[in-house]
Amino acid sequence: MADQSRSSVGGSVDIEASPGNSMHGVTGREATFGFSVEGTESAAAGGEKFKVAVDSEHKATQFKLFSFANPHMRTFHLSWMSFCTCFVSTFAAAPLLPVIRDNLDLTKRDIGNAGIASVSGSIFSRLAMGAVCDLLGPRYGCAFLIMLSAPTVFSMSLISSAGGFIVVRFLIGFSLATFVSCQYWMSSMFSTNIVGLANGTAAGWGNMGGGATQLLMPLVFELIHSKIGSPAFIAWRIAFFIPGTLHILMGLLVLTLGQDLPDGNFRALQKSGEKVKDQFSKVFWYGICNYRTWIFALLYGYTMGVELTTDNVIAEYFFDKFNLTLHTAGIIAATFGLANIGARPLGGFLSDKSAAMFGMRGRLWLLWILQTGGGLFCIWLGKAGSLPLSIVAMIAFSICAQAACGATFGIIPFISRRSLGVISGLTGAGGNLGAGLTQLLFFTSSAYSTGTGITLMGVMIVACTMPVWLVHFPQWGGMIFPPSKATTATEEEYYGSEWSEAEKQKGLHQGSIKFAHNSRSERGSAKRSHSIVSAPTPPSASPLPHA
Amino acid sequence: MAAVMRASVFVSWVLFSSYFIASAMAGVSFSTLPRTLVLTSAISSQDKSASNVARAGEDDLVVTWRLNESLAGGEVDSKYKSVIVKLCFAPVSQVERGWRKTNDDLKKDKTCQFKITEQPYSSNSNNTVTWTVEKDVPGAVYFVRAYALDVSGSQLAYGQTTNKNKTTNLFVVEPISGRHVSLDIAAGVFSAFSVVSLFGFFAVEKLRAKK
Repeated sequence: MADQSRSSVGGSVDIEASPGNSMHGVTGREATFGFSVEGTESAAAGGEKFKVAVDSEHKATQFKLFSFANPHMRTFHLSWMSFCTCFVSTFAAAPLLPVIRDNLDLTKRDIGNAGIASVSGSIFSRLAMGAVCDLLGPRYGCAFLIMLSAPTVFSMSLISSAGGFIVVRFLIGFSLATFVSCQYWMSSMFSTNIVGLANGTAAGWGNMGGGATQLLMPLVFELIHSKIGSPAFIAWRIAFFIPGTLHILMGLLVLTLGQDLPDGNFRALQKSGEKVKDQFSKVFWYGICNYRTWIFALLYGYTMGVELTTDNVIAEYFFDKFNLTLHTAGIIAATFGLANIGARPLGGFLSDKSAAMFGMRGRLWLLWILQTGGGLFCIWLGKAGSLPLSIVAMIAFSICAQAACGATFGIIPFISRRSLGVISGLTGAGGNLGAGLTQLLFFTSSAYSTGTGITLMGVMIVACTMPVWLVHFPQWGGMIFPPSKATTATEEEYYGSEWSEAEKQKGLHQGSIKFAHNSRSERGSAKRSHSIVSAPTPPSASPLPHA
Repeated sequence: MAAVMRASVFVSWVLFSSYFIASAMAGVSFSTLPRTLVLTSAISSQDKSASNVARAGEDDLVVTWRLNESLAGGEVDSKYKSVIVKLCFAPVSQVERGWRKTNDDLKKDKTCQFKITEQPYSSNSNNTVTWTVEKDVPGAVYFVRAYALDVSGSQLAYGQTTNKNKTTNLFVVEPISGRHVSLDIAAGVFSAFSVVSLFGFFAVEKLRAKK
């Protein structure tokens, strides 16, 4: 799925265009910093210095999960851990709601509004984060966000009303923009052949924080309340010092152990000069004019969005419906978010496998099946009357929804080459908007119970997944229709259509054309050639470079 | 195919049996309980601010209960083994708060969430308890209710300090805020540390770059 082109010396390097890069690429114009843990000038011929295989830009071509080797794998671990920390603090209030709602005298509407606020802040902060990473680099972008949002976490212990609760959850939610710095940082450290895997794993493991917090916060609360003996209304406030301290700790680790680029310092990357910085207005225009962008933004709202919503409501649901203790409800709720450890990468893996067999059509079908399955399990979860059945339904729902997240980002890189950053950003924003909208519709009013709200959410998932049937690529087909037989239905035509004739004259579209060649893998195993009618040829027989 | 059939039969069996088990476990219905106990409560406070406001952690609630005189000497209380006295939410504090909802099935009822005392039942009229309002009690409007329980803990009768519609003789609990000066200070210190260390790092790096 990834851009297979390796840069050769003097060749054009599509750093910005690598799949999985969510906003902007490294442009080489970021500010230079003199302090680096690894010493000053790393050897330019530093290939031997790295513990993983690297390409000519010193980006890793191997993904060694259990290594902390500097800089690539260390970056991976710093990246996902800081993103995870922000998830922990954003959803830290959810498992403690039974105590907080009594302390602050909250109504269901207040709780719903706070939940919406917690996912809304990051819509804006994610958009700004791309620019911050361009200016300061991902290391400082991450550190700034995580350390400046630490005070918002600490201020949870100061609030005494519903209004304060909503405001603080809104402010803490800004920290979810570490998703952008995480993906940006990975894209500057990992080569195009594995950047998708690296980004997907980092995002999935970061999302686990939403589950880990449901375990962590009740445990800390129980410790302070029962063992140390603080009254409940004080204990939950003290508990918030844990995520706050984690923010500070991760920020310091990122600052001291992290580095922006494989070579340590920011240096103007030597480019052959062929890659000209693109115009944001054009990139934005082609992004929003592609109808697939909006379909996938909606879809992501009902896979990632419902995951965020469920992180907010599920612990309270189990606590109230089955009369569990706070930490039992927390353990159950945690399994929902923790399934991310495997479910999201699984979704990406299955997407790649189905593409190998059926091409893009396989990816679309897989996404629809996973996401609709998640919706059906969600309907069951809302209706299940006994605890064991509820847990089974919840786990099935979580695996399907999270795998669908992974499968979505298996398709996103192919929607557009030129506007990948904008589309990724809009999709991510769609996720958060879906989360806010779902909480507004189903979990804020007292007209129906939380269980009914969950069932209705499941119905909405099934309904909002239907638009994927409308997605059609001329060169690859869609769920219903096979690829178009017209001679213009080629990958080159599709990706080239994002550039005007004048731009093509200047050769600005070459990166897209290169990607188009490599994306022929999306035709599936029965390769259809437009020029020659032939028996299906296996991909390895193609003259074009393939993995 | 046979495996799928067996699996679906098993799943349907699990679903059906869980429904029946759930309904078999329904509790006593509150509307069937006779009101045989007479209950009174009063707030005992060092500092008499308002007579129907009790401060959590400081003021006491004095609750007394006895069997209704007109039923004394009869067989009404022959099965009463113990009495449990609870603090219950008044309707105004249940609005928009589904976790405090009143349900006629007493296994699902969430009206009364705080236990004041549980004692063996005695038919004399001097049952009294003085209970300090705990610090975990949220700020809300309350009344007091007592259930007479049989040997297995099922409710047989009740009494409460308010009328049937739960509108009279209610009192307010003023909660603790949960805030504390030491927490405020700690939050300030940690936050300042975070911001200062970030900008400090940034400044040091910038300075070193200039050298």
